[in-house]
Amino acid sequence: MNVALRLLTSARFAIAIIVFIILLSILGTLLPNGSLIFSSPLFIALIALFSLSTCVCSLTRITTVWRLVVHPRVDVTDQFIEALPFNAFLSGAKLSDVSEHINGYGHRHASNTKQTIFFAQKGRVGRFGPHIAHFGVLVLLLGVLIGTVNGSTSEYNNSIAVIPLGGSVDVAGFTVKLNDFGVDYYNDGTVREYSAVVSIIDGNVVETHYVTVNEPLTHKGLTFYLYDYDSAGVTQSGKAGWVAFQIKSEAGIPFVWAGAFITIVGIMVALYIPHKRIWIKESEQGLLLGGTTNKHSRSFFKEMEKIHSSVIQRNNHSSI
Amino acid sequence: MDIATYEQLGFEIALGTYLLSSILFILYVSMKKERLGSMGLTLAFFGFAFETIALANRWFYTGHPPWVTTYEVMAFFAWTLVGAYLILNFRSNYKSVGIIVAPLAFIIMGFSSMQSANPEPLVPALQSVWLLIHVPIVILAYGAFAVAFAASALYLWKDRKLIVGTKDLQNDQNPHDVPSSKHSQSGAGILTGLQLDALDDIAYKSVAIGFPLLTFGIITGAIWANRAWGSYWSWDPKETWSLVTWFVFLIYLHARTQNWSGRFAAYISVSGFLSVICTFLGVGYVLPFLESFFSVSTGMHGYAGGDTLTGTVLFCGVLGAVIVLLLTTRKRPPKTTKASSKDVATHAG
Repeated sequence: MNVALRLLTSARFAIAIIVFIILLSILGTLLPNGSLIFSSPLFIALIALFSLSTCVCSLTRITTVWRLVVHPRVDVTDQFIEALPFNAFLSGAKLSDVSEHINGYGHRHASNTKQTIFFAQKGRVGRFGPHIAHFGVLVLLLGVLIGTVNGSTSEYNNSIAVIPLGGSVDVAGFTVKLNDFGVDYYNDGTVREYSAVVSIIDGNVVETHYVTVNEPLTHKGLTFYLYDYDSAGVTQSGKAGWVAFQIKSEAGIPFVWAGAFITIVGIMVALYIPHKRIWIKESEQGLLLGGTTNKHSRSFFKEMEKIHSSVIQRNNHSSI
Repeated sequence: MDIATYEQLGFEIALGTYLLSSILFILYVSMKKERLGSMGLTLAFFGFAFETIALANRWFYTGHPPWVTTYEVMAFFAWTLVGAYLILNFRSNYKSVGIIVAPLAFIIMGFSSMQSANPEPLVPALQSVWLLIHVPIVILAYGAFAVAFAASALYLWKDRKLIVGTKDLQNDQNPHDVPSSKHSQSGAGILTGLQLDALDDIAYKSVAIGFPLLTFGIITGAIWANRAWGSYWSWDPKETWSLVTWFVFLIYLHARTQNWSGRFAAYISVSGFLSVICTFLGVGYVLPFLESFFSVSTGMHGYAGGDTLTGTVLFCGVLGAVIVLLLTTRKRPPKTTKASSKDVATHAG
């Protein structure tokens, strides 16, 4: 059990799963009838393992991240600060010399022992970015699962409704009536647009819709897509013929979009918001300043160097 | 001259300018004259300006955005690549990356010029607001990945040159090896301004821009497909390859958190771009070729068709070039690998 858990939390294992998914996907595009791979038990098992690894990885790490961000270490030793990627000693400087430079930083803590230790951090949400993205991926995959399960149980999903002009069909307690249909052409004879005018009769309510390829009709969780039409009928001036609609169930799709949205937000938070932390120890001799960041270290170092040089400049001024 | 001829001229000038720019960058890197690099950069800028006008022109007279036919998509891809490179050089000096970017832009533009320039009317499925969103976002992502590829390929190349350099310096005690040592020292001195960690940084930042864009692009593609076909995902080859690219860069980003930066990251980034090339060419060219034999479905992205033979030849050429690059950069003693990757890892934080 312990071994399984350790395996699932390991990034190497996650990467190995992704490599297998990649290899199978490539095979799927190269082999004849390769698309069958994507519904094979092996591929589905890999996706399940991928979801499990994503889930376990975030669950085991989130408490550590929470502790790091919400209950940070404030009472640190000099050695701790001196070991930080950026650190400097500003002799004779006071906390007030620095404070204006870190106005943008929130969540300050001061602790009083023999010295005053000041802690400031910025971009805490950045630490949660990967976990937000992981959650989004799981919601998306849940949507796919709901759609797949519902798709195979729903009576109407993937069925084709052929409606003659002026006629109607009954679907899931309402009626769909075809009022008109047509095809538009460009000057060179290629098709510009297929369209149909359809009425939905649900009890006493009648709604009429103009349906095109990119504007399908959705009613009560079922969507009607233009699928086929009577090419002989459309050319007749008297107009007759039929239009075929493909019916798709909307089940799971809201989850897919919500999951996708959360994933994007998570990725952007993870990539663009650095978590920056600064510790400052004030003593009789001066300030011990140290800082670290989890990304964008170059710009953070520049920021710290600016603080450093401005404090030195000010102290030079006051000593003259 | 009618408007289409002007547009053709604009693309041709851009093509020629990218070629000249490539030559200047090669001279810059081999002769180490700063001026040649600046000229290469300026030429790339002029090529970009001409291409911008030509693309805008085409948008104006075809009445749809210039990313519908293969000819347009390829030209637009080259445009985003050069644009990303110019932005990269806006405030910093990363000119040397041009030695990969300019030839790449030339190849892509050359590929575009081999396609039919005839504008095609929009088929019903393409008449959607998502055409304005999905396609440019994906191509922008690919432009960012192309810059990451350029930085990573340079990383691997420079890394190898350094190794050969140190090896030959060791051989310096051997009097027979003096000429070769001289040669390799100039090799080690190539791209002097760009340190390995700076290249690693460029690659990371490009991926950090490209990855969210690709994610957004895949999702908008799914929304569009759901709207037009009633299916948000159907595993057509183009969708699958874009997902493969996404997974490759997902590995890149996760490898970063494990401090596996440096060479390993560079290899992943190069593979990611290889996957981008497969997305472009594998579908429009190689797969129709397979399709005629095995009836593989090209699905809804089938409109990106073209001349099968040139596509296959080009695809194999690029594939071969990358494989050669990967194989030739492999020789190196393990000791230095650790040192350089550690160096970079601390920077990546």
